[in-house]
Amino acid sequence: MASSGAVPFWRAAGMTYITYSNICANLVRNCLKEPYKAEALSREKVHFSFSKWVEGKPEKPSILLFTSHFSSSVSFNFIDRRFRFNFR
Amino acid sequence: MAMAAVLRREGRRLTQPINALHSSLISQDQAPHGSRSISTQVVRNRMKSVKNIQKITKAMKMVAASKLRAVQTRAENSRGLWQPFTALLGDNPSTDVKKNVVVTVSSDKGLCGGINSTSVKISRVLHKLNSGPDKETKYVILGEKAKAQLVRDSKKDIELSLTELQKNPLNYTQVSVLADDILKNVEYDALRIVFNKFHSVVQFLPTVSTVLSPEVIEREAESGGKLGELDSYEIEGGETKSEILQNLAEFQFSCVMYNAVLENACSEQGARMSAMDSSSRNAGDMLDRLTLTYNRTRQASITTELIEIISGASALEGFPG
Repeated sequence: MASSGAVPFWRAAGMTYITYSNICANLVRNCLKEPYKAEALSREKVHFSFSKWVEGKPEKPSILLFTSHFSSSVSFNFIDRRFRFNFR
Repeated sequence: MAMAAVLRREGRRLTQPINALHSSLISQDQAPHGSRSISTQVVRNRMKSVKNIQKITKAMKMVAASKLRAVQTRAENSRGLWQPFTALLGDNPSTDVKKNVVVTVSSDKGLCGGINSTSVKISRVLHKLNSGPDKETKYVILGEKAKAQLVRDSKKDIELSLTELQKNPLNYTQVSVLADDILKNVEYDALRIVFNKFHSVVQFLPTVSTVLSPEVIEREAESGGKLGELDSYEIEGGETKSEILQNLAEFQFSCVMYNAVLENACSEQGARMSAMDSSSRNAGDMLDRLTLTYNRTRQASITTELIEIISGASALEGFPG
């Protein structure tokens, strides 16, 4: 298996299996031909608001939103951080 | 004021919301001095508003029905994602561990019957069952509604809350990113996901799926409990068993979450559909009763006027022209 050698590396980069498999899935999606590619990429939109609670109070929620267009390269994880806005 | 009495008696027979009508009728008693009969304006306005509400609930029912159709097939297809995991790792809700995380799945919007309170209730039960002297149980909440309910009595135990999931149609990428965020932010030995499993448009089964952490799976497998068969599997490739289990547990969580979120969205639409159906029916009933009251009052006022005219005329008859 080609991927077996890669495991320690993405683990060391702080990625989980979910992130890793998402990047792989995205690479496959990008290999599609045109009408299907745009369709598949537009389907995978991510949007939710996330807030951590500390001692019974929610912290400022961060809104997480991006589409797969952004993450067409392997920088999925970094995009994830870059598109995290803080809303008051 | 015989008509007012009739109206009031009718009003009492109607159910709760009509109290507004009732009280506004009482104020009709203090109508401008010298006015002969009460106005039926109040009832007419009331009828109009009930009719409008009925229109709204009917429209909401239609919307819920079309959304349900879209999400139902996806929810049913997503069941194939967790089934292999349950076949391999089993589903062991009774596993006793130290760090429990209850993931409560609920909806962002209301008007969908009791599905949110059910999942909150089940989550509370799980919380109680899994609390002990050296154990801790935390909540991770999906959706506004469960958050609003759990904030009241157990806000100290809330670890994370996630909302606004359904801005776009649900998809696996979104749920997996969400699952990833949960995994990165909580420490767990067992994740217990509470959601309403869609059974039919009127039936939702509150369900708990348990995802164990890789360490707990390994421990259970070694002690030869329910997971004892896991050792009979051969592992291909260069990875160790713990690595494989770590990957599996993470992937299992994202798959189970995907199914849970879809099932819950499906149940939400189904519940909303039946709730809106019964409220349109109630609005129809109320409208019928109001129409009856209105017509009866109108009839009574006509009768009274006729009696007044006739008796006036007959009183005059005795006098010479």
